[in-house]
Amino acid sequence: MNQFLPRPAIAPAAVWAFPAPRRGRLSNGIELMTFELPGQHVISAHLVLALPLNAERADIEGVATICARTLDEGTRRHNGEEFAELLETEGAGFGVDLSLSGFQLVLDVPASHLDRALELFAEAVTEPSLADRDVNRHVQLRLAEIEQAQANSAHAASIAFRAAVFDERKRASRMNGGEPDTVRDVTQEAVAAFHHDHFGPVGATLVLAGDFVDDPIAAAERSLGSWRNDEQRQVMIEEPTAGPRRTLLIDRPGAVQADIRFGGFGIDRLDPRWAAISVASYAMGGAFLSRLNAVLREEKGYTYGVRMNFGPLRTGGSFAVQGSFRTEVVGDALATTRELITVDDVPFTGQEVTDAVAFFTGVSPLRYATADGVADQAATQILAGLPDDYVDRSLALLRSVTPEAATEAYRSLVDPDDLTLVIVGDAERLADPLRASGFADLEVRPPSSDQTQP
Amino acid sequence: MWGMTSGALSGLGYPILQHSLDNGLRVISSPDHIAPSVAINIWYDVGSRDEEQGRTGFAHLFEHVMFQGSAHVASGQHIALMQAAGAVVNATTWFDRTNYFETLPTGGLDLALWLEADRMATLLDALTQENLDNQREVVKEEKRQRYDNVPYGDVMELLTSLTFPTDHPYGHTTIGSMEDLDAATLDDVHNFFRRHYLPNNAVLSIVGDVEPEDAFERAGVYFGQLSPGPKPSKPDASPLAELSDLPRAEASGNVPADAVYFTWRLPARGSRDFDALDLAFSILGHGQTSRLHKQLVRGTEHAEGSGASTMGLIGGNSFGFSYARARDGVSPEDLEQEMVEVIDQLLTDGATEEELRRAKAQFERQWLHELARVDSRADALGEYATLHGDPHLINSRIAEITAIGNDEVQDVLHRWFRPDQRATLIYRQEA
Repeated sequence: MNQFLPRPAIAPAAVWAFPAPRRGRLSNGIELMTFELPGQHVISAHLVLALPLNAERADIEGVATICARTLDEGTRRHNGEEFAELLETEGAGFGVDLSLSGFQLVLDVPASHLDRALELFAEAVTEPSLADRDVNRHVQLRLAEIEQAQANSAHAASIAFRAAVFDERKRASRMNGGEPDTVRDVTQEAVAAFHHDHFGPVGATLVLAGDFVDDPIAAAERSLGSWRNDEQRQVMIEEPTAGPRRTLLIDRPGAVQADIRFGGFGIDRLDPRWAAISVASYAMGGAFLSRLNAVLREEKGYTYGVRMNFGPLRTGGSFAVQGSFRTEVVGDALATTRELITVDDVPFTGQEVTDAVAFFTGVSPLRYATADGVADQAATQILAGLPDDYVDRSLALLRSVTPEAATEAYRSLVDPDDLTLVIVGDAERLADPLRASGFADLEVRPPSSDQTQP
Repeated sequence: MWGMTSGALSGLGYPILQHSLDNGLRVISSPDHIAPSVAINIWYDVGSRDEEQGRTGFAHLFEHVMFQGSAHVASGQHIALMQAAGAVVNATTWFDRTNYFETLPTGGLDLALWLEADRMATLLDALTQENLDNQREVVKEEKRQRYDNVPYGDVMELLTSLTFPTDHPYGHTTIGSMEDLDAATLDDVHNFFRRHYLPNNAVLSIVGDVEPEDAFERAGVYFGQLSPGPKPSKPDASPLAELSDLPRAEASGNVPADAVYFTWRLPARGSRDFDALDLAFSILGHGQTSRLHKQLVRGTEHAEGSGASTMGLIGGNSFGFSYARARDGVSPEDLEQEMVEVIDQLLTDGATEEELRRAKAQFERQWLHELARVDSRADALGEYATLHGDPHLINSRIAEITAIGNDEVQDVLHRWFRPDQRATLIYRQEA
């Protein structure tokens, strides 16, 4: 037997701060944020457009996604294949990320190729071909992607949950990429009009992060500084609101597991309770030995993992307990979940708060040590309306959370008797146990039609 | 050709220092002071290829039981203590490895090393029937969640069994058979641990805000007292002949589209032939300018998605595959025929110089990206030290790939990628 040393203590963490950007402005007004990160040889460039998804016409939702996905299918200067070849020859990767509050158009490229790659990137953003054939293909591919998502139990549960938890009149209740009924009506003209009306330098920010070889500001000016769109239209972001509470079982005959989403309407990062609820939800369902995972996975072996997550939007948000459970134990798993998420008699403890704060504080330096980590966070902050020093401020706020504040914030947001439940699983085997577990108002929905379509 | 910061001409310059403890544990240090964090990563040289017939799924089961406590750590506390030190913690199992890692503020390095050492030395003190039973259930849930309840979730298993004989080390996937797991006794599990979880069968990488002397000293403090054991023998790694007779399989399930898959046996990783084939597979199926995407997705629009990739393995052979998912109204047979034409064309005409340049440029970005984070750099160091005996290879990979000529790509295609060397899987939508 080894002679074992006592368990070592943890030395205090070194002081760390989120990197400070250098701010500037291109001659056409595009905001510029640059982060010099030594050793980060792949530059991450995010062009952030404050273009919310509610800018889409309601009958052709999905048009923003089709537009974004068609940007790199060719430009006025270079036809489709030629453009993609030029970009890939620079070792560059092009991506798009659409959220309810805006667009991120992303370029990753080795530092020595930044200049040329940024020129191509700017071409895609400012003068894409948006050709008929490419638009139509992306419409078809998006429809196929929705079928893929609906065929996946976990994705289907998330889609149904957002549809239930947000007011159905709000854009937030529907998939960012659009639903089948509206996607299929997206035309080339609509995509071109969307680009013409909404893409432009007003409200745009270019974030550049990495270990630059040449002056990134000059490169940014050369590529994007002369972009104009005198007809660019600005759209205010819509505030989502809550939908009525529902209990919904979506049938998936023969499924061996059920995917569960159990939650409600939430808050955004600017809510004074944000730090406290971050701590509370970590203790309830974020940590490996969170209250939920310790019992449902580690003690009972009902699931590969269960968590509780608060997802903030620019205003408001949602939260849910989520996991996959084998069909036989779903009734008991939900009954146990309902008990566990009730904290009236078991408020959060000092130890839980300390552990949560240590976790959030500890993971930050790593999370923001790479070019894409920094650029992605900066872009997220822009779209959420947060200041440049948001990470530092939020960590300071976390450190001031008390167990009482965590419990109070949690109780003000999570009412276990008033949550929306979405389950995707085998209705024949689940409906009775669920009703027996107290979900009397259960609605059973047949399998999604998109899933069984030939 | 490339700028100053890229690796193609000069080679990358990540500092890499190595030290072996008396008990055979190899320790690698790569200091990086960009953030006050450190990544530690232990590669155990045991994967699903080391499992015996009737004992599949064991390597992966350990990825679970290793978190169930050891002599001085209660069940679940490994992750709990690490998370409370601000760590990201996880583990993975693959054909050729099981690895365990934590990345955290430097002040928790001692605790992380102590926890890893405690379970390497004393896991069996805590591995009870109850722990085993519970984690078996969790693994079954994992299988249901990640394989059984997901469209195409069994494809990997189908492809490996098409490509390798059932009794070959790569003939089964890491999740293994649930019957084997059910049959496993506590003794079986203890024996597996004793055979493979040894300091002389592991590589410990420490990357981040710690100097090499310091890293080596701490590794010595926590791991130095562990006893080595007989180095486990590795499974037979003689290369198999290429596939022949065009093996085929059919499957069906509740999937949103018909799909066609091809697989090939390739040479083991760590050879120039494998690297050349990797570039060829990239040209065939990686990205928007790949042959398959241009022809099937953009061109005829018969596929909603396509791709091709190699999966590098160390034991005699690697594995390569390509796939396409049919658009509505396109039969898998027609799609298969079209894929065959694209593939045969690559063989007959070879790659263009432009295509090869693009494949290399994409490799460079992905590799630089991989090394940009201390945690994935630690993983890469463990990988190259364990499988190839040389962690310094991470600094020369870009130069090695860049040096491959088009004639070499053409040559390996003719040896490994002929029309009669593939296997085919047709995956249909259930009627």
